[in-house]
Amino acid sequence: MPEQPLSGTDGAAASRRNLLKMLGAGGAVLGSSGLLAACGGQQEQGGGEGVGNFPSTPQFEFVFVNHVTTNEFFTPTRYGAEDACAILGCKYQWTGSETSEAAEMVNAMNAAISRGVDGIAVSLVDTKAFNGPTEQALAKGIPVVAYNADVDNARLGYIGQDLYTSGYEMGKRIVDLVGEGKVALFIATPGQLNIQPRIDGAVDAIKESGAPIDAKEIATGAEVPEELRRIESWYLGNKDVKGMFAVDAGSTQGVGQVMDKYGLHDKGVRGGGYDLLPKTLELIQKGSLDFTIDQEPYQQGFLPVLYLWMYHLSGGLLVPPETNTGLVFITRETVGPFLRTESRYEGSTGEQKYIKG
Amino acid sequence: MATRQERSAGSATQPPAGPPPPSDRAMGRAGNAVARAAFTGASAGLLRMRELSVLIVVVALSIYFAVSNPAFASAQNAAVIASFTASAAIIAAGEVMLLVSGELDLSVGMTFAMTPFILLWAMDLGAPFIVALFVALAGAALVGVVNGVVTVGLGVHSFITTLGTLFLVHGVTLIISGSFPKPAPSKGFVTQVLGGWPWAQILWAIVIVIVMHAVLTGTRWGTYTIATGGNPTGASEAGIKIRRIKMRNFIACAVLGGFAGIVEGIHVTQSFDPNAGGNELMFTAIAAAVIGGTALAGGSGTVIGAFLGAVVLGVLRNGFTLQGISANTYFVILGVAIIASMVLNTQLSRFRREAKAG
Repeated sequence: MPEQPLSGTDGAAASRRNLLKMLGAGGAVLGSSGLLAACGGQQEQGGGEGVGNFPSTPQFEFVFVNHVTTNEFFTPTRYGAEDACAILGCKYQWTGSETSEAAEMVNAMNAAISRGVDGIAVSLVDTKAFNGPTEQALAKGIPVVAYNADVDNARLGYIGQDLYTSGYEMGKRIVDLVGEGKVALFIATPGQLNIQPRIDGAVDAIKESGAPIDAKEIATGAEVPEELRRIESWYLGNKDVKGMFAVDAGSTQGVGQVMDKYGLHDKGVRGGGYDLLPKTLELIQKGSLDFTIDQEPYQQGFLPVLYLWMYHLSGGLLVPPETNTGLVFITRETVGPFLRTESRYEGSTGEQKYIKG
Repeated sequence: MATRQERSAGSATQPPAGPPPPSDRAMGRAGNAVARAAFTGASAGLLRMRELSVLIVVVALSIYFAVSNPAFASAQNAAVIASFTASAAIIAAGEVMLLVSGELDLSVGMTFAMTPFILLWAMDLGAPFIVALFVALAGAALVGVVNGVVTVGLGVHSFITTLGTLFLVHGVTLIISGSFPKPAPSKGFVTQVLGGWPWAQILWAIVIVIVMHAVLTGTRWGTYTIATGGNPTGASEAGIKIRRIKMRNFIACAVLGGFAGIVEGIHVTQSFDPNAGGNELMFTAIAAAVIGGTALAGGSGTVIGAFLGAVVLGVLRNGFTLQGISANTYFVILGVAIIASMVLNTQLSRFRREAKAG
């Protein structure tokens, strides 16, 4: 896997703030023009007039094929798609599988292709399953982009975190924080393509560093209370642990709650993980967790819509670019604004508001 | 074989003793009393034994895990096992009532996730916690009413009815929660009673199990439930309103599911998650009921057995994770362990039957 240059924590945090400002301002403008009354991305508007100085376009319809349609991680993603559609006067549909069934996702994608939609954004959580449908869609002139999870196929661009790289960066952070000893890496569902590459990256980074770290991979399950209990069970049997890290939202919250309950951070244990569940943020501020990694789920909905729309607007001249939505380590020093603000960008509220930075 | 014995054990609470022939009435009365006492004694012993074999499995597993890792037998870990067990045990108590009456509820894991959000909704409207709690449980009861009306009123099999409400309730939960977790209430006396105390969740489970056990074995509701599942036609001809009994069981199961959801959110995660519980919890609860000796076909079952079944599943999940079994092998070992435990359980049951016969 290629390593790509990553922006440092501070720079990335600053650019995120700017972006939030920009998006917030966009939301406020739209809010004032009363375009955001409806929910679910079904806004009925005539095709694109009055949007900046762009010409009139048909009302394009884009389909998001997702692997865990009801997961709260993607709530901001749906808000992002909804907001982009409101700006650009297009529609989107949110579909796929609730339980990472690739076959169900392929069916949803094929249905979108036969319906002749104007673009597809799909989380590529299987190495082979989506290659055929992607090629078919492109052959029919339907642009396809990948978001959140990616494989090497014919899709035009990928919008999301580079999962392996993000895991690799976490691995380097683990080496820095822990140095040596037993480290647990918790994963909700082993083998799932949107989280497994993170563990693989972390393990590789730890190995390549040569640090005497004994990394254990532990499965926790897909339901938050169960994840918490399994992490606690594991800790009780492995009290010599030096670090506990997780690669999915629920397990990260679980690590934080176990660290908090047993006061592990004060005992020198280090912990961290992914995503911005409210409890996770709270525990970072409390000092029970060292970090969580933000991958900007809002942008993973906003940018695919924008890119697909631009593709059509330009007759295919503007090809969706590869976009790394980021790898921002949120720590005790930087968590404040996230905790104080309820926003569509984290999913904690559906309300549109201008967040003054 | 087992089913028949257990059915007779279950219905023994209401023996259909007719009047003896008048010629030897005195002797008959005495003989009848002795026979009845012997019969009740034997059936009570059988009932105890039925739960005993699951208990033996629990003890065997516990010894195994305690020997392989000393941390297993600590007080801290007991609390974790209690947490693994509690929700499944509460829901299993409801499922046992339904299964015994010949129905089942697949939607209860979703009711578990929905009820806390009704609680928050009511609190947002300004209701005090205790009122909001009753509103939330009424919401859960409504799911039970829908399940009951469609199943017994409109004649749809409960597998299909509750499969439908499973999706329906799940969707409603996602909509009312905005697909995002919300912090659970943490202040106030009632909140503390519900889930503040370290052992609150398992205590609720034990209280509910004792109450439901008493309901099933010692009340008319329980007797009619057993009769309804064991022989619906006979029960109906004997004047039991089987629809009303089933309706009541649907509501009980849904309310217990909703209650478990609120307690778990307050006690375990301190947040209400729209994807909590769900089908995994529902299957765990039904598995606990069946492991504990409740017949899937109806007519017999035990709430205490279901509780022990939930403990078996909790000990297995806790024990293997505590040992640090790595991610991919965990499921293989868990699967093998569940089957092995149940083979042990059924073999013990056969052994005790043969011992009785011989």
